[in-house]
Amino acid sequence: MRFYLMLPALLLVAGEPAMAAGDIEEGRVKSYTCTGCHGIPGYNNVYPTYKVPKIGGQNYEYLVTALAAYKNGDRQHSTMQLQASSLSDEDMQDIAAYFASLGKDE
Amino acid sequence: MNLTNKKLAGVLLLTFGLMPAFAMADGDPAAGKEKAATCAACHGTDGKSIDPSYPNLAGQYESYLVKALSDYRSGRRVNAIMASFAANLSNQDIEDLAAWYASQDGLKDIAIK
Repeated sequence: MRFYLMLPALLLVAGEPAMAAGDIEEGRVKSYTCTGCHGIPGYNNVYPTYKVPKIGGQNYEYLVTALAAYKNGDRQHSTMQLQASSLSDEDMQDIAAYFASLGKDE
Repeated sequence: MNLTNKKLAGVLLLTFGLMPAFAMADGDPAAGKEKAATCAACHGTDGKSIDPSYPNLAGQYESYLVKALSDYRSGRRVNAIMASFAANLSNQDIEDLAAWYASQDGLKDIAIK
């Protein structure tokens, strides 16, 4: 069997592609806007009223998925949908990497 | 200050009318711990999830967790796994579970650095 015929099978064995890792330092810069709400302890979302979630130390993959869901409209929140709409995949990965890293420095 | 009954009624109406819609009775963390056995299979017994695709819940704000579970229950937030679990939760269950995870040590606010 020619090797290239085996490629699809090899890909299947490898399973789902691992999510590309973001750059923490890039993420630190790109996340400046996020801190306007997520950086204030106990800050309330205006309506309906609940506290803006803590994301320091949240899991990288979950954060990337959440941002992508806001961008494509699967997850609803007007502010987050607006913020995510301008993010590239790389932006999301960088920002997620930075927030995920914040839980590991203690 | 002399307040007539009418004025007082107006003040009270304003005060309570402006209270947050999501202000609910406080959840009971101990009761939440009892109810969280199913959740622990993915989110961990300590609120730190077993897989990075699931969110950590330890230390998350109680009001946010109430909002998230309520949204899964109503279908506003769409996730096949969470929808099936949230469907069976009462308001009290949601408040208790949120109180339990909020009481754990974990997630942090992010600071401007």
